[in-house]
Amino acid sequence: MAKGIAKLQTIDRRWIFLLIALGTLIPIVLPIGFPVTITPPVKSIYDLIETFGPGDVVILSYDYGPTTGAENDPMADAILRHCFSRDVKVVALALYPLGGLTSLSNSLNRVTAEFPELEYGVDYVNLGYKDGGQASMKLLADDFAKAFPGDTNGRPLAEIPLMQQIKGAREAKLAVSIATGIIGEWWANLINAQFGLPVAVGCTAVSAPKYYAYLEAKQMIGLIGGLKGASEYERMVKEGYPATREAYANPLLQTASKGMDAQTIDHLIVIAFIVIGNIAYFASRRGKGQA
Amino acid sequence: MFLRLRLPLLLTLLAGLVPVVAFFFKDEARAVKAPASWLEQDMIIVAGFALLLGVVNVVQSNMKKIERRDKGWFFAVVLLGGMAVTGLVGALGAFRIGGLPGIGNYPDGRPTPFAWCANYLFTPLQATMFSLLAFYIASAAFRAFRVRNVAATILLVAAVVVMLGRIPVGEGVFGRFTEWLMQIPNGAAQRGIIIGAALGAASLSLRVILGIERSYLGLDKGE
Repeated sequence: MAKGIAKLQTIDRRWIFLLIALGTLIPIVLPIGFPVTITPPVKSIYDLIETFGPGDVVILSYDYGPTTGAENDPMADAILRHCFSRDVKVVALALYPLGGLTSLSNSLNRVTAEFPELEYGVDYVNLGYKDGGQASMKLLADDFAKAFPGDTNGRPLAEIPLMQQIKGAREAKLAVSIATGIIGEWWANLINAQFGLPVAVGCTAVSAPKYYAYLEAKQMIGLIGGLKGASEYERMVKEGYPATREAYANPLLQTASKGMDAQTIDHLIVIAFIVIGNIAYFASRRGKGQA
Repeated sequence: MFLRLRLPLLLTLLAGLVPVVAFFFKDEARAVKAPASWLEQDMIIVAGFALLLGVVNVVQSNMKKIERRDKGWFFAVVLLGGMAVTGLVGALGAFRIGGLPGIGNYPDGRPTPFAWCANYLFTPLQATMFSLLAFYIASAAFRAFRVRNVAATILLVAAVVVMLGRIPVGEGVFGRFTEWLMQIPNGAAQRGIIIGAALGAASLSLRVILGIERSYLGLDKGE
């Protein structure tokens, strides 16, 4: 008996792959709709944007690429929907070299299509991508034009009505960095620490732990961690702004809520295999002890 | 000696010192702030050259692989071909050659060649590579998480609690404990790592600015 259980340790890993594939595919095709609980780090971002009104400007920095789009895209989209629903202006930019601009352009195209009344250059602007990391960030804090002389289409910032209202990032109400890697940290330890601009970060689940240090130090006002955080934000936007529910009901739209269903099943599969692995491990030790 | 050693050291001293000094002055001190701002703009240009250096390195290493017909040389051909095509359509779009409106979409929503490459080649390929992690993490968790000793047990329990606390079916029971784990023990450890790394970066920067650390000059020993 113990020998049979111990053999589970050498189970063909393709069984694990198959279960993970099914656990991911089935909930995406047939969404379950697990309810998520709102956590304070996510709610604080939502609550702050709730205090903004027409004329206020939020900076949304796309500091991620397609690799983490499944986690980061829903966060960026939800922040955009929230801002546009409140008539808050958005200055969008990208500082991540491996596809940041693609993520930015696709997200803006996706969400602005849901708000036909928005006017480019007046309600939002796409500044495009800029290399240079911290140097670009420090420059745009004082003056966007020093880092981004024109928008993504090369139109000078001086000709864009929204950019006439705001000279530098420090004049904005909030900077949100949707990040993979280190760029989100720069927003916290450079833009917040040196210029006092409130900063929020939406990051992948794997990088969320390091941001808790900034969150606890009050260098960030909130944190959207992974799909869980994104699904919480989606829930608040859907509940607060019923008009957005139509967009979220689109079966072709990849939302964090659908992703959370898959993540829930996959977490349970992983935990089940950890338990099985440990039972098999103890069975093998017991078998050796008896021998 | 002056061009190879003293001039680079002097430039490094100025480039490192000016932004540090400017940090302690208010915006009104233009005489100090303006050179710092100029240096920051220069850094963006230098970063652009770093990208160019990366491209040169990729070309050189992959060309060698193709010449030697190393294992997987065909993938090097695909990589260089993809890079050449994407770079070409990107450059054509950026300089608006051939009626291209840029590197985004046309006004009617159609993607430009660069946007097409980004949306239909780069994005799915990158997403696929990252998605594979889910399978390998599950397999690795099954094989690595064993109750072998106290440390491994603490790691296992923390991992399982966080995994349960981060999903709807477990957050009712483990949600608060997960948040505590992330904020207090994890936050403390992360803070230590961040402060340690920052002190290390500051000390290395100081060594470079003061000319103690000179290996970046690429000079032989003793020069």
